[in-house]
Amino acid sequence: MPRLVKRALPLLLLILATGLAACGSSSDNGGSSSATADDGAGGHRGGTLTVLTSQDITSLDPGITYQSLDLNVLASTMRTLYTYEPTAPATLVPDLAAGPPQISDGGKTLTVRIRRGVRFAPPVSREVTARDVKYAIERGFNPNVANAYASTYYGDVVGADRASGGAIAGIQTPDDFTLVFRLTRPTASLLAQSTVLPLSAPVPQEYAKPFDAKAPSQYAAHVVSTGPYMVAADSDGKVLGEGYVPGRSLRLVRNPNWSAAGDHRPAYLDGIDFEIGGSGTVYGRQTLAGRGLVLADPPTPALVKKAYQEARDQIFFSPGAGTRYAALNTAIPPFDDANVRKAVAAALDREQMRRVRGGEVIGDIASHFLYPGVQGFEKAGGLEGTGVDFLAHPEGDTALAARYMRAAGYPSGRYTGGETLQIVGLAGAPDSNDAQIFDQTLQDLGFKTSLKLVDSGVMYGRFCGVPRARVHACPNVGWIRDFADPQTVLNLAFNGNFIFPENNPNWPQLNDAAINRAMARGELTVGDAARASAWAEIDRMITATAAAVPWLYDRQPNVFAADVRCVPELWNQGHCDFAYTSLKP
Amino acid sequence: MSVGAPGLLAQEDRYERDFTAGVARSPWQLFSRRLREDRVAMAALATIVLLILVAVLAPLVVKLAGAPGPNVQDRDATDMFGTPLGPNGDHWFGVDPLGRDVFSRTVYGARVSLLVGIVGTGVAVLVGVTVGLIAGYYRGWVDTLLSRFVDVVLSFPVLLLGIGIASACSLGKGCVGGAITPGVRTVILVIALVTWTSIARVVRGQVLSLREREFVVAARALGASNRRVVVREILPNLTAPIIVYSSLLLPQTILLEAALSFLGVGVSPPTASWGWMIADASDNFDTQWWYMVFPGAALLLTVLACNLLGDGLRDALDPRAER
Amino acid sequence: MAAYVLRRVLWGVVLLALVSLLTFVVFYVLPSADPAQLRAGRNADPATLAQIRQNLGLDRPLTAQYWTFLTHLVLHADLGFSYYSGASVGSLLVDRLPATISLTFGAVVIWVLVAVPLGVVAAVRRGTWVDKLTTGGALLGISAPVYWLGLLALYLFADDIGTFPLLPGAGSYVPLTDDPWQWLTSLILPWLVLASTFTAVYARLLRGNMIEVLSEDYVRTARAKGLSERRVVWNHGLRAAVTPLVTLAGLDIGLLLGGAVLTEAVFGIPGIGRLNYEAIVHADYPVIQGTVLLAACFVIVANIAVDVAYAYLDPRVREQ
Repeated sequence: MPRLVKRALPLLLLILATGLAACGSSSDNGGSSSATADDGAGGHRGGTLTVLTSQDITSLDPGITYQSLDLNVLASTMRTLYTYEPTAPATLVPDLAAGPPQISDGGKTLTVRIRRGVRFAPPVSREVTARDVKYAIERGFNPNVANAYASTYYGDVVGADRASGGAIAGIQTPDDFTLVFRLTRPTASLLAQSTVLPLSAPVPQEYAKPFDAKAPSQYAAHVVSTGPYMVAADSDGKVLGEGYVPGRSLRLVRNPNWSAAGDHRPAYLDGIDFEIGGSGTVYGRQTLAGRGLVLADPPTPALVKKAYQEARDQIFFSPGAGTRYAALNTAIPPFDDANVRKAVAAALDREQMRRVRGGEVIGDIASHFLYPGVQGFEKAGGLEGTGVDFLAHPEGDTALAARYMRAAGYPSGRYTGGETLQIVGLAGAPDSNDAQIFDQTLQDLGFKTSLKLVDSGVMYGRFCGVPRARVHACPNVGWIRDFADPQTVLNLAFNGNFIFPENNPNWPQLNDAAINRAMARGELTVGDAARASAWAEIDRMITATAAAVPWLYDRQPNVFAADVRCVPELWNQGHCDFAYTSLKP
Repeated sequence: MSVGAPGLLAQEDRYERDFTAGVARSPWQLFSRRLREDRVAMAALATIVLLILVAVLAPLVVKLAGAPGPNVQDRDATDMFGTPLGPNGDHWFGVDPLGRDVFSRTVYGARVSLLVGIVGTGVAVLVGVTVGLIAGYYRGWVDTLLSRFVDVVLSFPVLLLGIGIASACSLGKGCVGGAITPGVRTVILVIALVTWTSIARVVRGQVLSLREREFVVAARALGASNRRVVVREILPNLTAPIIVYSSLLLPQTILLEAALSFLGVGVSPPTASWGWMIADASDNFDTQWWYMVFPGAALLLTVLACNLLGDGLRDALDPRAER
Repeated sequence: MAAYVLRRVLWGVVLLALVSLLTFVVFYVLPSADPAQLRAGRNADPATLAQIRQNLGLDRPLTAQYWTFLTHLVLHADLGFSYYSGASVGSLLVDRLPATISLTFGAVVIWVLVAVPLGVVAAVRRGTWVDKLTTGGALLGISAPVYWLGLLALYLFADDIGTFPLLPGAGSYVPLTDDPWQWLTSLILPWLVLASTFTAVYARLLRGNMIEVLSEDYVRTARAKGLSERRVVWNHGLRAAVTPLVTLAGLDIGLLLGGAVLTEAVFGIPGIGRLNYEAIVHADYPVIQGTVLLAACFVIVANIAVDVAYAYLDPRVREQ
């Protein structure tokens, strides 16, 4: 599910170049897409939107959260230094910042001016200063908060390598409304881009410090907002039990201290109520037939069909929602043999994999790893692919698969070894169906398999992300990015330097020296076109190894009620952005 | 008519027949005659035998019916949105979302249900009888210890215990050092663990009272070893209650396996299991009713037959117990 | 009497402690997921993971962890915090309990109201079509899986997808305090489905007991004395036949209060059973421990209540 894929989001915001072309904005890839991306202008004020979600949010703390649904909530309750407007997912706009980022000193210094007049919600209620952003970032290094991407993106800041929640020397506040970052390496433009992540949302130190002193931090239960909406809280600012009942409900109300003057968000809705924990299928039905409802879950194939056929303007297919692929463990037999991997790639019926998720409307068959909207996609071959024979037939090519097996040393064209393959996939349709298709493909090739369908936390935390677990294949993995920069799609996922004993992002454990070298060079390449070429070439190289079998370029469907004017966050899987969405009168 | 237990009058007739014929019949002969005369129980027995045959000969049954195998994914049986087709000429019970034939999977599902049910019941009975025997015969602190242990297990929410163990043991190499591999073995273990206590209690009660009977006391007075007493005197008298309770247990274990599969912690896919099929169907059963109805009906039929047979056995063994 | 009650209660407390130990062993020693990784997310480096483990106390020896848990529970009534959502386990339990209680008591009322008359009538009119219908229906009731019945019920009667839209479908439960009418109507199908198995069992049991009791000597005497058949049946017969059922019902209620997982899953009722199941799926150990302890508590209390009632009625029992 995209949500799981979404956990990789923060890492994928590694971009270097500025001024990225807005490849991912409108549906240039959604030939059969229905509603086009509404930017929300001229919406009707008032009303309460109800969001139905079977999965709970992970955390309300901007320093902790990393999931797609959480980001959806934070986008309308927190103001980060820079952000995206929902339908322009590659254009950086100042939010808390007063103007564009100022890079100097050869890229080693970043200066950001903070807008005046932005105030925290009650009970803090005072004006936001640069020191609040400084504290927000510093607390990311506090083990009680343990932000997942702080060291990755803010790691170049002077003093960050020794940070553990205390002051970081390299973040300076010469005055209340100026923030200066001093870096050890010339990566200031990267840093500027990464401030779209929630970590840069201001946190009032005097209010939050006692909560951050607890292990784990309790700030999430008392979180205070700066955006047009806030989580309903009691007079002390406590949201847990008040506006947020874990597993049951979440209530966003207007932030009385927010002023429309200093913000580009229209904030039409009066409130947003989340109903959490029910059945996704039931929610889907209710959304399609009801009023004022938005479905936060990925819709089932049956719902996609129904909406597509009967209520075309109630479903939006958000393009560029990532690539799905099946990772093959290249470190242990039998997939340490490239011919065997190519046989599997050739045998997999990618059309069927797509069909059980809803068919043509929900995405394009993938043939390499960069996906539509990411720079370098076309240069790597676009939708036709890189030209490798084992991915030439979307419906699978059993004859070719047999030839590769023979090349691998199995004269019958089928596997005759003794290994039983451990396959780990996700429980729950349609992911479980994809896993079973993959499993059956392996069995048809003669492999003996043992398939396990588990929860996503278990799949990543115990199996696919742990090399020690010796899982042979993980068919339900994938990457998504936020920015058009191709490095974010390929680097962590296929670079041999990122194979960790735990939380390993390089699931196939690909460690190809030539590819590693090319990536190291690609990191330092400057200029859009040059980077696109460099990373397209790396994409081709990775595809040629068959370390993973790409099978879908997601076009994430989002379903909402007939009276909802949903403004999709194209940078966040198409979730309706609450600060722009409105209800039709 | 053992569905309602024989009428009082009919029962007296049977007594008359058994005695006035002038021939002394052994308990087993009486038992088998009563059973044979119970039409409903015989029908149930025939059904169960038929189900076992179908399960064992599943590949043959499927081939004779002209249906594809249970794991064959028929691309053409789903439309462009992935919606599966309902019952038709090619697929009598329709297909599931992966295009697999539901008739085939229902037939193969019998394998899992019956295998786990029968073996699981067997293991539970074995454990339960052993514990009950030891507790009832030796009494004293042994009995106290074992009874307290049974208390602890019974205080535990049984289904949740089953879920927990099943989910923990179905990952990686299994548990108990790899002796319990994920799949059928784990489910059998879980079911046995969860159901043995009722038999243990019953057997303990029976042994406690049997122990004081004259023939046991006499045997012990004559110097027979404990083992001899247990095996020669006590066990034979336990056979009837053991059979009765096993037959009561079997339908429960079959239902328990299906429940575990329904919750996703039973036998893992792609092995066909009725409970798993029902769970898989629960998302779309409003439009894909066949996928939910047929496995459920098969489950109902199997459990019903087991219950009827259990009733029949009980009545045949102890016609005065009108339950 | 008091001594007996005290003994039973003390043993109950010991049982709870043993259950918690057993839970600890089963769910902690055989974990399904690493809570530190759940919390840290996919990109955490080893140092962060180690720190989180330290925060959660996961790096200490198992006995130390268990001891901490026990002391927190006994001294501060603190069941810990969920690994998955961070909410306190106590608050989660309090939040989910009303739904389970609603579901249990409605089902109990239905099954008592249906099973008792059915059992009595079937016993009295043994062999007639009423009897055959009852026993046949009861057999079906105990043979059908409850979740399948639930799905069938939804398929037929749910107002969003049913063939005869009559009652609210899955996921429509609201707390009593929010909307009493919706609360009531949304629970009717779950009540009926959950009660069906129990009704079947109890009707059969009652029927069997009644048949035996009605053939006892003292009943014949009562009849001979000229008491009306109705009095014989309801006053003498039922009173004797129903006692084992009362104890059984007590135990079953205790069991159901721990959460009817399958029914809650099918109808989307946010009760304790589902909370427990989801916690197991997410390897959320504190919540598992909390729900299991709560369920065990109910079962143990029910057992004690039943035992005490028996002891009150039958003094010989107290000597054991």
